[in-house]
Amino acid sequence: MSEFRVLNTRAARLDAPAKATGRAKYADDLAMPGMLYGAILQSPLAHAKILNIDTSKARKFPGIRAVVTAKEAGLVKYGVSPARYDETLYAHEKVRYVGDEIAAVAAVDPATAQEALDLIKVDYEELPAVFDMFEAMKEGAPQIHDEFPGNMNAEVHQEFGDTEAALAACDLVVHHTFLNKRQDAAFIEPHACVAVFDLDGKLTLHTSTQVPHYVMRTVAMVLQIPVGNVRVVKPYVGGGFGPKCEATPLEMSAALLARHTGKPVKITYSREQVFLHSRARHQFYAEMSLGVKQDGTMVALKNKAILDGGAYTSFGIATVYYSGSLLGGPYKLKAMKYDGQRVYTNKPACGAQRGHGGVAHRAAFEQLLDMAAEKLGFDPVEMRLRNIMTRGDMTINELDMSSLGMKECVEAVRDVSSWETKKGKLPKGKGIGMACGFFVSGAGYPIYRSDTYHSTVVIKLSEDGGIATVLTGSAEIGQGSDTTMAMIAAETLGIPLENVRVVSGDTDLAVDLGAYSSRQTLMTGHATKEAAEQLRGQIAAVLAETMGCDPSSITFRDGVVLFDGGPGNFEKLRSLYIKEHRGWTDPPGGEYLTFREAARLAYLKLGSMVGTGKYKPPRLGGSYKGAAVGTSPAYGCSAQVVEVTVDLETGQITVDRMTDAHDCGLAINKTQVEGQMHGSLSMGLGECLFEEVKFDSRGRVLNPSLGEYRIPTALDMPNVDTILVESNEPNGPYGAKEVGEGAIMPTIPAILNAVYDATGVRITELPCSSERLYMAMKAQEKK
Amino acid sequence: MLLPKFEYHEPTTLEEALRLLSELGGNAKVLAGGTDVLVRMKQKIDKPSHVISIARVPGLDAITPRDRHGVTVGSGVTAADLARHELIRDRFTPLALAAGRLGAPMIRNRATIGGNLVNARPAADFPPACMVLNAILKLKSAHDEREVPVNGFFRGPGDALIEPHELLVSINFETPPPWSGGSYVKLGARKTLEISMVNVAALVTLESADGPITAARIALGAVAPTPVRAYAAEELLVGKQPSEELFQQAGETGVGMCSPITDHRGTMEYRCMMIEVLTKRALRLAVEQARAWRP
Repeated sequence: MSEFRVLNTRAARLDAPAKATGRAKYADDLAMPGMLYGAILQSPLAHAKILNIDTSKARKFPGIRAVVTAKEAGLVKYGVSPARYDETLYAHEKVRYVGDEIAAVAAVDPATAQEALDLIKVDYEELPAVFDMFEAMKEGAPQIHDEFPGNMNAEVHQEFGDTEAALAACDLVVHHTFLNKRQDAAFIEPHACVAVFDLDGKLTLHTSTQVPHYVMRTVAMVLQIPVGNVRVVKPYVGGGFGPKCEATPLEMSAALLARHTGKPVKITYSREQVFLHSRARHQFYAEMSLGVKQDGTMVALKNKAILDGGAYTSFGIATVYYSGSLLGGPYKLKAMKYDGQRVYTNKPACGAQRGHGGVAHRAAFEQLLDMAAEKLGFDPVEMRLRNIMTRGDMTINELDMSSLGMKECVEAVRDVSSWETKKGKLPKGKGIGMACGFFVSGAGYPIYRSDTYHSTVVIKLSEDGGIATVLTGSAEIGQGSDTTMAMIAAETLGIPLENVRVVSGDTDLAVDLGAYSSRQTLMTGHATKEAAEQLRGQIAAVLAETMGCDPSSITFRDGVVLFDGGPGNFEKLRSLYIKEHRGWTDPPGGEYLTFREAARLAYLKLGSMVGTGKYKPPRLGGSYKGAAVGTSPAYGCSAQVVEVTVDLETGQITVDRMTDAHDCGLAINKTQVEGQMHGSLSMGLGECLFEEVKFDSRGRVLNPSLGEYRIPTALDMPNVDTILVESNEPNGPYGAKEVGEGAIMPTIPAILNAVYDATGVRITELPCSSERLYMAMKAQEKK
Repeated sequence: MLLPKFEYHEPTTLEEALRLLSELGGNAKVLAGGTDVLVRMKQKIDKPSHVISIARVPGLDAITPRDRHGVTVGSGVTAADLARHELIRDRFTPLALAAGRLGAPMIRNRATIGGNLVNARPAADFPPACMVLNAILKLKSAHDEREVPVNGFFRGPGDALIEPHELLVSINFETPPPWSGGSYVKLGARKTLEISMVNVAALVTLESADGPITAARIALGAVAPTPVRAYAAEELLVGKQPSEELFQQAGETGVGMCSPITDHRGTMEYRCMMIEVLTKRALRLAVEQARAWRP
């Protein structure tokens, strides 16, 4: 039996009523008196010099209130990582992809704004463009940024141990190459924001983002406003998955236009603009070799990566590090070498997406493992169990697995899927496959170098003591962080969940780095817990003083106060409370002193009842270059078994069943954890089987809609058996760690391993469409 | 994306609709379910200055059986209605199956058979089904009325034998003879919400439950600028006892009728091979249904 009263349950989400009734307001739902509508002019060419921009006609167009270009915006360089600030709000000398922003307008209505864009005349001198990452690396390729010759945006070279020597000493070395495709995160809500300046010059930006904190800093820097004069408020958000992890030209344009007009300005991206802004999963090319011993011991891994970054850096530096660092586990290795390169091309910039940097290389690695197992005659499950890390192990690149239920996950999916009755025993056309993976529970360091707290939280009690309000800058984007924080606060304060409110996503309330790198449950959770503990301590101290007992003898549970575990002799306190509350209609009763009475009495002594909490990780990781990327206070891990049917006549794959076990440390809310697992599997299945952002020969996106960019439908997703593994993470609040991204890691390789089992064909390029698989099966037959 | 500006008309009688069409002709677009035309207008592919909704014209949404001889389907009947209509499922099976595979539930609730035919997209779901059922389309204009067989209606991508002042009002189907069965199969990337890479409709009539094939019709979509009938494959089947080998031969013959293209949904090579497979499957399913025929 769990000792928890609120945690580890299936409590209903806090936002369920608002979302179910349609009352939840998203950024595009917001309206303000006098509000104007913005629109952004984007380049129709992939690579061109800008010779001249003539905005005179647009400025005179009836209904237009402002037109801004680089002239008005200035040329402050920005980006995600200060190491590579390579963007300006508007292109000034040249454009680098179809969609590069050139100007923005504000008008009385959206149609007028769109019409005015057509009146801005831009003279271009078209330059040769390059769209393929391998072409971009060749000598003589068009140069996209002068500062980065050879279109080399970032390079990583890391080695742990002597890889060549280790490989040479192995009994078997297997090789594999793998190519995924550029993805779109396909969140349901396109980016939208409303910017408004108050009369004191303070900007408030209501925006659909995962990271109010970083948006605040970037907007302040680019528009040269003191950070303290920028407030970012996140309304309800319809999904992010990574691409909403950075400040956008949309937000900066709205803010700039609001400043120029003195009016609130709203801008919303069309679905096509979401594809053009992109910042989603890169295209990765992986070249990998794995050395093993005859007894199945994994020894050395050599990993090479090339990433198609698009025209700007975005998160790219972190991405190219992650493709290496996230292969250090969950298997023990003696040596590992990684060489990664991120290349500029004339396409929209790629950034972070669920499983940041790790997904494609994990897919290659877990296939390689199966290839090695087959050659050695080991069952894939057995092969993994032989090499698996457990709690307390350190990866070769110095990531500390302070808790790791990896073995438990593998055993669970093996048993629940009845692996042993199926593997090797299925008819042709049916297959079963498995894979593992792990991911950080919050990046160990902020994106900019700083000793800042990653999260601060304030909890304030209502005047009557009955309601606790959690004030946080964290970003509820549909993943359920508000509910998680409410549950942690309720558990810690010892009150029912319905007595907790959460106000979140507002940079004026507290510091929080936001919803990325699966960090909020652990980091914001810690800060929430600490704030609740502090508050609880204050109340206990007041009660103890009045009662003349020791504060440590006082506990709170289910909204009542326990003295030495029982009701205690609290009549004096109750009399005090009733005296204070003469004339109120809800006198307290019952055999226990209530939390509300206690909190009210504490207020009478101390004034406003406020608790504060904070969190930042301790110093983590090794001392080699790039050691920070991949560090985290804790790691979640996941194992999956996938069963497929392949139509041998068409190549069409039906995923029949998925079994997923995830170690999230402690499931704060079991239903939400399972929701993240289902979502991860669905996103992985889509990337594996269908998804690809396609371009024509001039760099224009061919399928910028959810009609032609295919994400899985309900009929493509099988039923999923979810298994929660709870390893009690020592560095997590109440033992909790991530689930939002780790769960996607095994999905692609588990599907591809199952396809191999069904057909005998290894797929080396995504998506594994019916045509690709059919052609590969044909080619195999001919051999 | 915003719709361009246009003038909106909502006639309440067929006469009024036809009069508007004859007056506005080429400057007008007919709005039925809107699942194609509104998308094309938002994408600025179509920029009509007038839009004529036929939503309030009475009778266009009716499915009317004509004794035992056939059925008349109004052009405004939705895919969802056709997919669940008992008579259509039972006797005009390819039509019901094609309706059930069009888009997704929300699209099927809006999209109409008339719109799908008049749009004349090479990969559309309804045309092959209508072609194997030898549908007759009734086109009306303010002063005229004519009947056009669906086989021959399509001229090219987006191009059909209908004049700007004409409205497709209904589609007539003759009930296939006893011991007939039909099918519709389609291949896309996903299980649903797909534009076909290849689609095949088939209608087969047997002499008796275990008798030879007396008539066969096969129509292929997404394999040429218009959906096509595989006449040579049909001829091959007639007089023969159904068998897997025969269906395979018919599939191989069917490929000869096609000239698929390579686009971002699939290559010509793959499409050709899939025509074979899907034709075979469509025939197998049609024969299964024919054998289970009940009066």
